Amino acid sequence: MRFMIIIKATPTSEAGAMPDQKLLEAMGKFNEELVANGIMLAGEGLQASSKGARVHFKGNDRTIIDGPFAETKELIAGFWIWQCQSLDEAKAWVKRCPNPFNEESEIEIRQVFELEDFGDEITPELRESEERLRAELTNRKPN
Amino acid sequence: MRFMMLMIPKGYEVAEAGTMPSADAVAAMMKYNESLKKAGVLLSLDGLHPPSMGARVTFDGGKPKVTDGPFTEVKEVLGGYWMIQVRSREEAIEWAKRCPASANEIIEIRQVQEFADFPTDVQKALDGFTDMQPHLAHTKAS
Repeated sequence: MRFMIIIKATPTSEAGAMPDQKLLEAMGKFNEELVANGIMLAGEGLQASSKGARVHFKGNDRTIIDGPFAETKELIAGFWIWQCQSLDEAKAWVKRCPNPFNEESEIEIRQVFELEDFGDEITPELRESEERLRAELTNRKPN
Repeated sequence: MRFMMLMIPKGYEVAEAGTMPSADAVAAMMKYNESLKKAGVLLSLDGLHPPSMGARVTFDGGKPKVTDGPFTEVKEVLGGYWMIQVRSREEAIEWAKRCPASANEIIEIRQVQEFADFPTDVQKALDGFTDMQPHLAHTKAS
């Protein structure tokens, strides 16, 4: 099963502040353990929402709103994609994560949709397109 | 430059376990996904099951505490994401505008931190991180 491990934003991450040496080393060790155990598939940090934007949709209308966005608690600062046997295993690994910030923080765990989850909702054609898309993404050489 | 497009569907925060998008919604989204791929900008994408099937971990004073979903006090949660590679923030916004999203959905665009964005001391500490993800080796500053 795959999970998105979402590091929620904090005032520090939204200020664009850099993590300190100690935290970086602790995270580095944790990432190495994740890789060694075949858990980590991907992971990225995101720039603060002040560099971002939001698009609102209404029929054919599109409204763009520039960041920053006020509700820090609802924003994300980074993520991993992990492969785990169960939600319990994902929780156990998250508990071992060093606190990502030198302040109160939160990590959200969300299960990723797999093709098998959709069952009969998906036509054979859609299933095939989805599989093809995934295969091409895996083989894609970045430019 | 890499950007994430984060899908935020209103109401998903209270969606029941096993909630699925309809076949029509999936078909429309697949067309969009194909267009991203054809344009050579799509790096990765995923849909997420609702928070009722997830959990949250808080780190208060360094002690981890696990709370199972759903999270009733929360107003926004992720429904899915795309990661794209484009030349500018404006190009990322243009792609987001083309998404077949509905009136109760928002797409948030966020720039991904690249190795080169960090000051040298942080880069030193990060040394080896991109090697953990072979498909990202190209993003490492030489």
